[in-house]
Amino acid sequence: MAGKGRGSGRGQLTFNVEAVGITRGEALPPPTLQPPPLFPNLEYKPVPLQTGEEVEYMLALKQELRGAMKTLPYFIKPAAPKKDVERYSDKYQTSGPVDNAIDWQPDWRLLPRELKIKVRKPQKDKSAVVLPKHKQRVPLDKEEIIKKLENLEKKEEEVSSEEEEENKEEEEEKEEGEEYDEEEHEEETDYIMSYFDNGEDFGGDSDDNMDEATY
Amino acid sequence: MSAVESKLCSLLLQEHYGEIVDRVGTFLIRTGNQPLRVIANETGTSLDQVKKALCVLIQHNLVTYQLNKRGFVEYKAHVDRFLRILRYPRYIYTAKTLYGDTGELIVEELLLNGKMTLSAAVKKVADRLTETMEDSKSMEYSEVSATFTHLADTHFVQRCPTVQEKDATEGRPPLAPTLQMNEKEMYIVPKLNMTGRGKRRRSSDDDDGGSQAKRPKKEAEDSQDDGVYWQVNTERFHQHFRDQAIISAVSNKMDQTSSEIVRTMLRMSEVTTSSSAAYTQPLSSNEIFRSLPTGYNISKQVLDQYLTLLADDPLEYVGRSGDSGGGMFVINLHKAVASLATATLESLVQERFGSRCARIFRLLLRKRHLEQKQVEDFAMVPAKEAKEMLYKMLSQNLVSLQEIPKTPDHAPSRTFYLYTVNTLPCARMLLQRCYKTVANLIERRQYDTKENKRLLEKSQRIEAIIASMQATGAEEGQLQEIEEMITAPERQQLESLKRNVNKLDASEIQVDETIFILESYINSTKTKAG
Repeated sequence: MAGKGRGSGRGQLTFNVEAVGITRGEALPPPTLQPPPLFPNLEYKPVPLQTGEEVEYMLALKQELRGAMKTLPYFIKPAAPKKDVERYSDKYQTSGPVDNAIDWQPDWRLLPRELKIKVRKPQKDKSAVVLPKHKQRVPLDKEEIIKKLENLEKKEEEVSSEEEEENKEEEEEKEEGEEYDEEEHEEETDYIMSYFDNGEDFGGDSDDNMDEATY
Repeated sequence: MSAVESKLCSLLLQEHYGEIVDRVGTFLIRTGNQPLRVIANETGTSLDQVKKALCVLIQHNLVTYQLNKRGFVEYKAHVDRFLRILRYPRYIYTAKTLYGDTGELIVEELLLNGKMTLSAAVKKVADRLTETMEDSKSMEYSEVSATFTHLADTHFVQRCPTVQEKDATEGRPPLAPTLQMNEKEMYIVPKLNMTGRGKRRRSSDDDDGGSQAKRPKKEAEDSQDDGVYWQVNTERFHQHFRDQAIISAVSNKMDQTSSEIVRTMLRMSEVTTSSSAAYTQPLSSNEIFRSLPTGYNISKQVLDQYLTLLADDPLEYVGRSGDSGGGMFVINLHKAVASLATATLESLVQERFGSRCARIFRLLLRKRHLEQKQVEDFAMVPAKEAKEMLYKMLSQNLVSLQEIPKTPDHAPSRTFYLYTVNTLPCARMLLQRCYKTVANLIERRQYDTKENKRLLEKSQRIEAIIASMQATGAEEGQLQEIEEMITAPERQQLESLKRNVNKLDASEIQVDETIFILESYINSTKTKAG
């Protein structure tokens, strides 16, 4: 109302109100004091959606794509929160997403170094790849150990207490090696083990996984 | 970057890559380029999670990185590519219409995985095709890679930027690899001798034996094109969409034959014209005549007549650029896109405000600037109604008002008020509204599915049971008994949910078509200025 600040009569307006379609004697429309409705009524009904083979197919594609995306490893789910108590059966359940490892194998050459993160290998590959590695390693270890033991035997004649301790350590190592071997053996034959996740990909164990991450 | 756009991006990311990626992506959109640590801090996400999310985003070409001068890596989100997720079904469908099932699957795999090597993509597609075939048949790798080569030749897929090999510098490797697009090799498919055929998934022991035996060979094959990644060239797809829109517009306006001529012209300049060019390469009528599809029997004379007709058409889709060689003709791409966008605006006004408003709108478009009195007269609408309509459109920002004062004091009685339609701002506004619409559609769909989550899970479980029972050969009665576990009202509810979700999804696809036209129009005006 033209900045006069006095009254709101039509006479105060600086232009001819008839120009905007308000005839003499007609009241000015009341001021709007509230925001427009959130869902205003539609004056005209919307036209129906297109139909036809093309639309149907595209619709199916869209829904399929959305479903497929959710199953890919690129769909990052937050790790399930820890439950109240640790259960024995936990380690036989297929492990859910883990925060600190990625489920697919990015090409690290294309990514900045700082993004490098541990890669979790899919279960199937593991038994196939890891196995031969250990088979090679074990006989080598044994030979070495036998050599060492022989050395020790020679030294033992000179009897010193320190070396006895070393001997013990070596023996322990040997035992560990055997245990490991057994485990692998089991994995090969025992079908239940191939079925359950033996929990190896959790945290601490994985020198294998580390290899992957650092190339 | 409007709030509406970032909201839509966020919804799309969440739906396709999960919550964490959404958090990281949305943060990057809102704040621009950021280094890793800042992202982790500000989003309150653990560093490992952020790393994973960034890996996914980079893999899908949604985020790029660059080395900051101060010696850290920063990440940059590409909003336009985020919004492309909405158009993925259309890319896949187009690939299907052009290159059949194989093309469809190749594009689908590339979109699902972001980037892939040729060998990986071919293998995956061959395996998938084999699964759908009858027993004892399978898909040859060579066939799939031939289709892939076609796609690359027509630029529908392209190579990703590759790592620039630095000559061995001493000391530490750089923080981030430098990526470079090799223009020459962008569409060149490496020579691979891929032999073999798609494999079916079989029982586990069989598969194990097979895969172990083939491992060494497989690795050798992989290394052939190691590091050469391919991605879908969305620009090229957009060019195709645009061409299709132009062709169908011509066929609506004129007739089938002229649309066929325009199609031929567009096809001839498909690969030679860049997607942002304003005109196609000039083509002489002789060239066009030679390239017309065989079986299309029109004489040279008729073609010339058609071309003159097209060039004289007020739409100006086809322009005459010279007289040599029997007349040189171009297709005015920017003009065509602009007229498509204008038609979209017109139809919006028509559907929203009725045909009389549309008449006024078209009048303003044609006459550019009109005074209120002139509008009333020209539109042949009663003065009072015309005013009301004009003001309604003015308040919706579809029509704008230009004041031209006769005297320097801007007194209303001595001022011309000219009404006009500014198509570009209108298109921008409408585009924002489209984004909002899609965001609303997605939200509604998510809400509906969430509300009926229990029911959906139940029906899925029962379907699974039925399937497993059918496999074991259960009796008809038993199956029926299980089917009845879903009650009639539940079934009804499920059906109505499905119908609603389908409707919402279909609307999303259709709104995206409008988005595409408006975006191309806005982009075409950008390149003109630049």
